[in-house]
Order: sequence, then structure tokens, then C-alpha cells
Amino acid sequence: MTSAIAVEGLRKSFGPVRAVDGVSFEVEPGEVFALLGPNGAGKTTSIEVLEGFIQRDGGTVRVLGVDPGRRRDQRWLRTRIGVVLQELAVEPFFTVRQVLERNAGFYPAPRPVGEVIELVGLAEKADARVKTLSGGQQRRLDVGLGIVGRPDILFLDEPTTGLDPAARRTTWELIEGLSREGTTVVLSSHYMDEVEALAHNVVVLARGQVVATGPPASLGGRDRGRVTIRFSLPPSTPADALPVARTAGHGDEVEIETDDEVRVLAVVTTWALDRGIELRGLSVTRETLEDIYLGLTGADDGPPTGQP
Amino acid sequence: MNAGAPPRSGVTPGDLRLVAHEVRYEQLAFWVNRVGAVFTVGFSTVFLVLLGASAGSSRISYLGNIKLIQYYVPAFVSYGVMAACFTTLAISLVVRRETGLLKRLRLSPLPTWVLVSAIFVSTAIVSVVQVVLMLVIGRVGYGVAFPQAWAAFVVVLLVGIVSFAALGVAMSTAIPNQETAGPVTSIVFFVLLFLSGLWFPLRANSGLAKISDYFPVRHFILAVEAPFEFRPGSSPWPWHDLAVVAIWGVVGAAVALRRFEWSPRRR
Repeated sequence: MTSAIAVEGLRKSFGPVRAVDGVSFEVEPGEVFALLGPNGAGKTTSIEVLEGFIQRDGGTVRVLGVDPGRRRDQRWLRTRIGVVLQELAVEPFFTVRQVLERNAGFYPAPRPVGEVIELVGLAEKADARVKTLSGGQQRRLDVGLGIVGRPDILFLDEPTTGLDPAARRTTWELIEGLSREGTTVVLSSHYMDEVEALAHNVVVLARGQVVATGPPASLGGRDRGRVTIRFSLPPSTPADALPVARTAGHGDEVEIETDDEVRVLAVVTTWALDRGIELRGLSVTRETLEDIYLGLTGADDGPPTGQP
Repeated sequence: MNAGAPPRSGVTPGDLRLVAHEVRYEQLAFWVNRVGAVFTVGFSTVFLVLLGASAGSSRISYLGNIKLIQYYVPAFVSYGVMAACFTTLAISLVVRRETGLLKRLRLSPLPTWVLVSAIFVSTAIVSVVQVVLMLVIGRVGYGVAFPQAWAAFVVVLLVGIVSFAALGVAMSTAIPNQETAGPVTSIVFFVLLFLSGLWFPLRANSGLAKISDYFPVRHFILAVEAPFEFRPGSSPWPWHDLAVVAIWGVVGAAVALRRFEWSPRRR
């Protein structure tokens, strides 16, 4: 089967700013695909090109086999995709049910509104006005709007930004459930843990360009090595007495960076036990996705906002 | 997953059902948000009743000696149309644009022409509700006769609804944010209403009349008045006034088409 989405050399500028500068990627049917990057990296612009909301300057884009920039295909495409924007935007005086019923009318074969309300967990709020909903409930309604048309592809632009941890968790479960049903999900995020929890494949964007790509576990060579062993030696033991050369640290501080941590640990601890030397504060850390992300996107690129 | 090739058809019966579907929700949005309803229907009712009760029976010597209430009924018919088409439409478009609602609808499969038609039909429905209400209050409360020249009356209303709706859309493009939408639109509207003699009918050659001759509001008030045929010998077809209103409508439509935006301006 062909890709759900194929993007090749996508470019888009706003005035002098190159928002997206030669981005390529493919999304397979049924996968959860993430665009990860700091604010201003080009995530929203890329997604809006895929949705057909903005016109690209260059490159080729195919969504479900059609060009989203072609007006005559847009209406058909929009019955096949669902869109969840960064903010809920519906009539504030409508009830949850009215909002969903209105949008259900736009699609040839919508999901029954009652089913959508159940799916997004708003059964108790079905007849409440939208403006009385909490932030998390509004986001769930927004996801409900995204899925009411039974989309083949669901686009979610930063689906959990600004949500409390419980609401985040609920949204994640919802996304996982849709993915299990076979919906292709494309989400943008600047949360590493979100991408790690949800995505099968990720493209990391920085300054409009792709800086890394692959499954979250392999990102930036993360599955191979980059493990740091840290400890302190007693003042009486010089660092050059170690059986393994340290890669960083000074005085009695020792840092050993290795991709063979099991062997190095065995050598060092055996050496210390034989001599009765205490290794104070011994720790073994693998680079987190956050470290890799910061390294890839550049620390000067604005706040990483890594906390949920 | 690829559910067939994209169909390429024109307007289908389904599209017309979709227009009706949208009109229903447009109407719901208008009537459940009481601000719009109060501003249009509420204001005109209160004004017409109060003005009619206080000054309605005095006569205006410079307007063929008709009773003041005979001027007020057509004047508030025109007020109702302008409030629904210009003010309410302009404010609601700015609010919808700035809250991202228009962008959201743009991303749905709802065709743009369906949305635009539904907004227009809904605005026209509100206008007609207003017109009927004013005519009934005038007739029942103050014995003001319905317009004699019905055909002219309908044509005048159609031209007014289309033109002021176009001006309302144009106005919305001039307002940068949600907070100023209400105040700016209301000030523009009420200053024009005052200049145009909504509350105090103008003498034809007065200074105010000369100023307001350049704007569509006074011409629309006069155009709505003509089919009532209160003044003996005057024509029920106000071609000159209608032409001015229509020219403004065309200008409004040109601005609207050129400057309309779907995305919020903020950020």
C-alpha cells in the first residue's frame, strides 16, 4: 500500500522567514507519526500545508494520493481528514451535542454523535454549553470534532499543550485507541515524553529543517550507546590508577562515556571491590530523549519546555 | 483507506441540504447569543415604541406634513436591516475570525460557498423578522399603514440587505481584534444614523443632509420610506436612493473580496 502522506522538499516562507525549508518525510497508513520541535521550528506550517490550509512555495506533497494544494481535490480530502487545532474554536453558546451535530452534517458518513461523545468521555457534559467546559474537556471536544467524520488521517497540532497531567493522559489514551482502530495519526508536539509514548515514527524539526528522523527509541543514535558512568574516588586514589581511562571530570570526579557499559562497569567495580575502594555516588545514565532533542535542535532555539 | 478517487461534481441536492443545515445552526448561533438579538430586534422595538409614544403624533411640516410615526416606521425598518446586516454581521465575523472559528470551518469539508450562503440567508432571515416586527408594531400600535407599493418595498429591502451585508463584511476586515469590534462598529453605525436623521428627520437641504448624502444610510431610510407613499405625488420607486445604496454595496463587496481573511490577525 502506498504512503498515507508523502512529502518531498517542502518549502514555505512567510516574508523573509523560511518557516519550512526543504522538509521530506513519509507517513505509512495506520501509524502514529510525530513532528517534534521547538516553537517556530515549522511544525504547524508543515501540518497546515498537509491540511491544504496554506499553499506551499515548493516541493511535492501527497495526502491520501492527492495534492492538498489543489482546490478541486480539497473538498474530498477534507471529508477524509480530521483536524484538531491548537485551540478549540466553536460557537461558545452551543452545547457539546449541537457543536458535534453541526459538524457531523458536513460529512457523507459521520460517526453517530452519541458515539463520539462517549469516545471522548463527555457523556455527562453532552448538553452543557461549550463555554462552561474546562480546558481538558474543550480539548476532548476538539478531538471529537476531529473524528466525527471518520477520518483516514487525524491531524493533531500540539494536542496536549496546556493540559493538566490527567487530561494529557486521557488524550493520549484516546489517540492510542484511534490508532488501534486503524486511523493514521499525525501529531505535532514539543513534549519529548509525548512523542516517546505515542509515536511510531518521528521527524525532529529545527529552524524549518529536518534534523533527525526515525522511531523515537533510535533517535540520534539513542539505541546505540551514549551511556555515562559517574562516580567519585576517595582523595587517596588518583584517577590514573583506574583500569579504564576517564573521558571527563577532574580531581576525584570521574565520568566515563561508553557504548559498552556492562563491560566497563564490571571492570571498574571489580577493580574497586578488590582494593576496597569506595565509588561514591555511582550512577549510570543513558542520554534521555530530551538531551538528544536539545542537542539536535540547538540550545539557543528557545525554551525546550520539556515539562508536561 | 483511499476511499475511491475524489469526485468532481458541481452543486448537488446534498449541497442545498447542507445550506439548510448551516442556516439552522447560524440561526441558533444568532438567537442563543442574546447580545446580537438585543442589539437588533430589542433596540429597534424599544426605540420605535418609545418614539412613537412620545412624539409620534406631531407632524413634520417639511416632509409633506406627515405624522412623525409615519417617518419612524420606515426609518426603523431600515434600522433593523442595517443593524442585522452591517453591525451584527461585522461584529460576528470579527469574533469568529479572531476566535479561530472561521479557520476551523475553512478546514472542514463545508464548502466556502455553502458557508457564505448560509451566513447571508441567516442574516436576511433576521432582517425580515425585524421588518415584519416593525411593520406590525407600526400598524397595531400606531395605525401606520403597510407599504402600498409592495413590489418596490421588496426590491428596496433586497438591495439593502445585499448592500449592507457586503458593507458589514467589508467593515469586519477593517477591525483588527475582537475587543474593538463592538465599540468601533457601533460608533460608526450610530454616527451615520445620527447624521442621516434616524431620530430627527432632516430637511432636504440642511447641512447634515448634504453630508449624509454621501453615505448610504440616509438614502436607505428614504428608499424604504418611498413605497409607503405617505407623501402624495412622490414615486414609490426611489431609483436615486437605491442607486447610491447599491454603489456602496458594490464598493463594500470589492473591499470584502479583496481583504477577507480566515485566520486570526492576532499573534
